[in-house]
Amino acid sequence: MEEEDDCPELVPIDSQPGLPARQIPVTIITGYLGAGKTTLLNYILTEQHNKRIAVILNEFGEGSALEKSLAVSQAGELYEEWLELRNGCLCCSVKDNGLKAIENLMEKKGKFDYILLETTGLADPGAVASMFWVDAELGSDVYLDGIVTVIDAKYGLQQLKEEKAEGLVNEASRQVALADLAIINKTDLVEEEELNQVRNTVRSINGLVKILETQRSRVDLCDVLDLHSFDCQDGAKLTEKLQLVTPTRPHLDKSILTATFEVTGDLCEDALNTFIQDLLWEKKFCNKAGEPMSVIRLKGIVSFAGKVHQVMLQGVHELYELNETPQLWEENPHTNRLVFIGKNLDKNILQEIFISTVVMDGVKKAGV
Amino acid sequence: MASTEARRECETEGCSRDAKLQCPTCIKLGIQGSYFCSQECFKGSWTSHKLLHKKAKEDKHQTEAKNCMEKDTNTDPWLGYRYTGKLRPHYPLTPMRPVPGDIQRPDYADHPRGMSESEQFLKGTSQIKILSPEDIEGMRVVCKLAREVLDIAALMVKPGVTTEEIDHAVHLACVARKCYPSPLNYYNFPKSCCTSVNEVICHGIPDRRALQDGDILNVDITVYHNGFHGDLNETFFVGEVEEGAKRLVQTTYECLMQAIDSVKPGVRYRELGNIIQKHAQANGFSVVRSYCGHGIHRLFHTAPNVPHYAKNKAVGVMKPGHVFTIEPMICEGGWQDETWPDGWTAVTRDGKRSAQFEHTLLVTETGCEVLTRRLEDNGRAHFLAQM
Repeated sequence: MEEEDDCPELVPIDSQPGLPARQIPVTIITGYLGAGKTTLLNYILTEQHNKRIAVILNEFGEGSALEKSLAVSQAGELYEEWLELRNGCLCCSVKDNGLKAIENLMEKKGKFDYILLETTGLADPGAVASMFWVDAELGSDVYLDGIVTVIDAKYGLQQLKEEKAEGLVNEASRQVALADLAIINKTDLVEEEELNQVRNTVRSINGLVKILETQRSRVDLCDVLDLHSFDCQDGAKLTEKLQLVTPTRPHLDKSILTATFEVTGDLCEDALNTFIQDLLWEKKFCNKAGEPMSVIRLKGIVSFAGKVHQVMLQGVHELYELNETPQLWEENPHTNRLVFIGKNLDKNILQEIFISTVVMDGVKKAGV
Repeated sequence: MASTEARRECETEGCSRDAKLQCPTCIKLGIQGSYFCSQECFKGSWTSHKLLHKKAKEDKHQTEAKNCMEKDTNTDPWLGYRYTGKLRPHYPLTPMRPVPGDIQRPDYADHPRGMSESEQFLKGTSQIKILSPEDIEGMRVVCKLAREVLDIAALMVKPGVTTEEIDHAVHLACVARKCYPSPLNYYNFPKSCCTSVNEVICHGIPDRRALQDGDILNVDITVYHNGFHGDLNETFFVGEVEEGAKRLVQTTYECLMQAIDSVKPGVRYRELGNIIQKHAQANGFSVVRSYCGHGIHRLFHTAPNVPHYAKNKAVGVMKPGHVFTIEPMICEGGWQDETWPDGWTAVTRDGKRSAQFEHTLLVTETGCEVLTRRLEDNGRAHFLAQM
């Protein structure tokens, strides 16, 4: 093939093929057409011109394509690369085809510094995120850094409030629900009052997301890249964030909102797993109207009896993980904080079940 | 952290700067010492450097060309591919075998790219089907037939027999039982079963290679009958096999059996990986991460996903009526895998051996039923007769 003539990217001497030394962050960028995703991407590429960044437009299709193009920006130049989506074994393969294709490409052509994946306006970022949120045990070259959603200040409110037929989800809301960072763009096109409404609506859906307001998608890149939203590095930062989350009021019936509670005490690990599974997999818990609670995003810091480290909880749709953080409880009270983003959530019901089934007998003090 | 090593000098003629970078193509081709100080310097000497690659590939091709064209068998079909172990493909393959028209075919059998629309439709869902009593009967029947086919394949395993010959027998055995051999044309897989020798982890394609004394061979059978798939595999010894290989195969079998022992309603699917990895590691072996067990019934591969390694995020809890496979692949060396240019054959990156065993299981009220169990010889796996 033609590659033999291409000059490959040099690799550091100590690294061997097959042993991932450095992991590359993947940032998923969502948002409706016209919100400013492409502008954001271009901005990132030009600002970070000394880094090697791969940009993949649109998520991977339903296994129909054999190849997919991606753009690589390096030293101010943009060139095209091809991902080979070998059709071979889609069946019992743990890693998604798209993920493997990216790893293969990096092995041949050297590692990128960042990978940006732009999804279509109607995509479920949760599904794309699960492609990259792989078990640490898989030793992937790639890790999920965070989900960024771009919202049009002028039309965003309309998109978020759009009523969908029964059973169908409002994609704009879902994108906000899953975002680690929400960029409200084109603020120059709206009045203060409208902007407040958009901001409040976003906040009402997702009590955790960081919100930035921009014109022409101009952001400080350290706010967009290296978010580390899915790993334990920033345990202390997460604790802070969780403490600041206030539960939200719905702006619409049937809308997505954020519920949160805190309970002090040690938890039984097995019981917590059962609680999470009953909530995420079995969808056993219902609100007062008898509608099953549906969680889109889940984050928390918990304490297990006998473990001196704080444990981080992360969940996207049905996937969840519990990981020990480097943070120690030390003399601090063992306050478990959980944040749920989803539909039909009832904080009191959740808290009650949590206290009665998960918290170990002994020190039980319900927080606000 | 890297210890202090001898200072390396950049390869570029005239440049004596410190070299901290290496050419990745040289690593792949086994050329030592291609150290450079920077990408720019490397680009500068690229025109002459790439000749080293060319020469290495030509040398390799020459030595292999001598062996590879014996008796019209091509054992080096992919120019430039660096094999991880001693095994080579033996081409060409015989043409795809037809299946008589009166045998019910799965949807992918007639798709030009072998894609299964029914599987694609459910891709990404984690809802696990609870089989009705009729479905369960269908699964019992097909799994028994799959077992019969595997037992026939087992009889053929001896030095001198080619994997294609085994595949031929498997194909005929399926047809005789009015079964469609599930692997055939599944995403364009060219044969009716998978044969994986030594360092091949799984999905080996039967070809002209004759089995050699000392090999370990896994034959993976899946058959489709009356709308259901049944899947199982066993690793066999070919002739006299060394102690290390015996230990590997024995441990792999134990990993599967221990996992099966834990199956009952209420157990989380992700727990199986913990059991398997614990036992494999205790014996000094590693667990392949890239391939997993899967739900199976009217679809060949569906929810749940059953990884075999510890600490995985598999979704789902076992309930009566669930049907799925457990199929751990255990390795002598590292767990990392790579795929041959044929797009199927998965091999260990370090070229060391890998073994596998598989059963299709039905979760019952109290535990599970091993649908693909052997009915003779006390249900013992074939290799045990040769230990």
